[in-house]
Amino acid sequence: MGFLKRIDRNAERWLLLTFYTMLVITMAIEVLRREVFSYSSIWGEEIVRYSFIYLAWIGAAAAVKERAHIRIDVAMHYLSPRPKAVLYIFGDLVMFFVACIALYWSYETVHISAKFGSVTDGLRISKVWFLMAVPLGFALIVWRLLQSFVRDFRSLRDGTPVYQGDTLFD
Amino acid sequence: MLWNQVAQTVELGWDFYLPVLLFVALIALAVPVWAAIGTAAITMLYMSGDLPLSLVGESLFSGIDAFALTAIPLFILTGDVLVRTGLSRKFLDVAEALTNFTKGGFGSATVLVCGMFAAISGSDAAGAAAVGRMTIARLVEAGYPRPYACALVAAGACTGILIPPSIAYIIIGLVLGISASTLFLAALIPGVAILLSILITNLIVNRIYGYEGGGNMTFAEWGSNLLRSLKSGWYAFIVPGIIFYGIFSGRLTPTEAGATAVVVTILMGFFLGTLKLADFPAMLVSSAKVNGVILPIIAFSAPLAEALAIMGVPQGFVTSVTSLTNEPWLLILLMIGILIAAGCVMETTPNIVILAPILAPLADNIGMNEIQFCIMMITALGVGFITPPLGLNLFVVSGITGESILKIAARAVPFVLCMFFVVLLIAYIPAISTTLLPDILK
Repeated sequence: MGFLKRIDRNAERWLLLTFYTMLVITMAIEVLRREVFSYSSIWGEEIVRYSFIYLAWIGAAAAVKERAHIRIDVAMHYLSPRPKAVLYIFGDLVMFFVACIALYWSYETVHISAKFGSVTDGLRISKVWFLMAVPLGFALIVWRLLQSFVRDFRSLRDGTPVYQGDTLFD
Repeated sequence: MLWNQVAQTVELGWDFYLPVLLFVALIALAVPVWAAIGTAAITMLYMSGDLPLSLVGESLFSGIDAFALTAIPLFILTGDVLVRTGLSRKFLDVAEALTNFTKGGFGSATVLVCGMFAAISGSDAAGAAAVGRMTIARLVEAGYPRPYACALVAAGACTGILIPPSIAYIIIGLVLGISASTLFLAALIPGVAILLSILITNLIVNRIYGYEGGGNMTFAEWGSNLLRSLKSGWYAFIVPGIIFYGIFSGRLTPTEAGATAVVVTILMGFFLGTLKLADFPAMLVSSAKVNGVILPIIAFSAPLAEALAIMGVPQGFVTSVTSLTNEPWLLILLMIGILIAAGCVMETTPNIVILAPILAPLADNIGMNEIQFCIMMITALGVGFITPPLGLNLFVVSGITGESILKIAARAVPFVLCMFFVVLLIAYIPAISTTLLPDILK
């Protein structure tokens, strides 16, 4: 498998694993340090908070990829493949619209922060690294939506069953 | 509330109604909830012109940049690890040994195990899936009709967000600025009350229809059974023990308690040999996806709530409602009505973030303790988990059994009624929510 193909398949997976592990381990170590060694850091909480924000937006992209976002789809069960595909494409279009606006304005936030050189309270490193979580997440969301358009238009054209995603709890 | 805001009337124009209509239309067309909320927020900001659109970009970061929220992925993960390590089965064994002295013992055990699961995991659907998989087949074996067994699990799993730790209380705490630990403490009695009401309802239904028999054993048999199950599964109770002791003693924040519980459960899994390193990617990614579904809704609700606030919608709502009636008991009933209706058609997270800032001033106006308000709100919304058209637990249980949603919903009616009754008790008797709190918060 080509390198790009592997990134395309696993990007969210790798990132989520990294940030989830970082969140859990940092927090657990902080507890251990405070309870056992009576000593705690000023940066632990920051690492946890910012890993969490990356986790949230990349998780959102993963959920777009697997069509797992919560929607009220009771009526969908009674539709034939083509109208169903149309509804899914419409939902993706709305997400695309919101994601593009969010991408633009969240990038703007990063841009302003870079211009004024703001730093975090604990680690004293540039806030840009953490603000980037939002535009990165939305860039992934936009990318996944584009892929999803291609896939769904194909099933709309051929009348094949549209991709319905995996169930969230299974 | 400030004195000069009380009499304020708010004229709402198209910059309010159009986004609201748009939101309803998008939801009806099965657009994902976060995108519908995002569209409403963007159009409202754009049309009213009171706030810049750049607010959207900022609040997607700052709206979820809160230490309290970081507990959410941890409590989701604990639930997941618990199932994969097989510790949840130990809970079932103990619950079964505890209740099999009476008729309908396994039904009661199912409800109890839902409660134990709720005391570890912060969410609802994960518990419904996990408990459903363990118990439904055996409930049917014990004599319950399949749709009723599904309804029982769905109802019991409602306690997932009602018994602490709970994601719903973390979110409402963030929205209204109350510490999650305080809310957890206050939610303890109401959560257990809901659990007991479901348990009792099941016993009554079982008495009437005679689904499950059993229960002819001596006290000595019962005692030795219970001892045996405790002996083989006592360590599973360390996990809820850590969470409860940590949070309620004030030693740990909910986030820290969540992290400790995750690590302890993982270590137990390794020790028991039920968890392998190879399980981690799938486990973490599926929990992260649940997290990624909840958080965008909170993030996009933040600019929406700000837009609503600057238009004066919460105050306008209070003024127009109190001009109709001033009777506190009627207003409380109205709030419960709104919450239950909202719970039927919408998911909990958006309901909390949108409705809490609108209803809280009204509760404040009639002198309701804000913590009691939170408990009432979450419990009322909790009923929505087992009511159609959008009852998440019904979907989950239907998903794992293939039973039709409407059939399960029909059998869930007694549970909806008993939960509604407890909601009324919580709303009209402040002591249920405030007894455990320190004096200053009462």
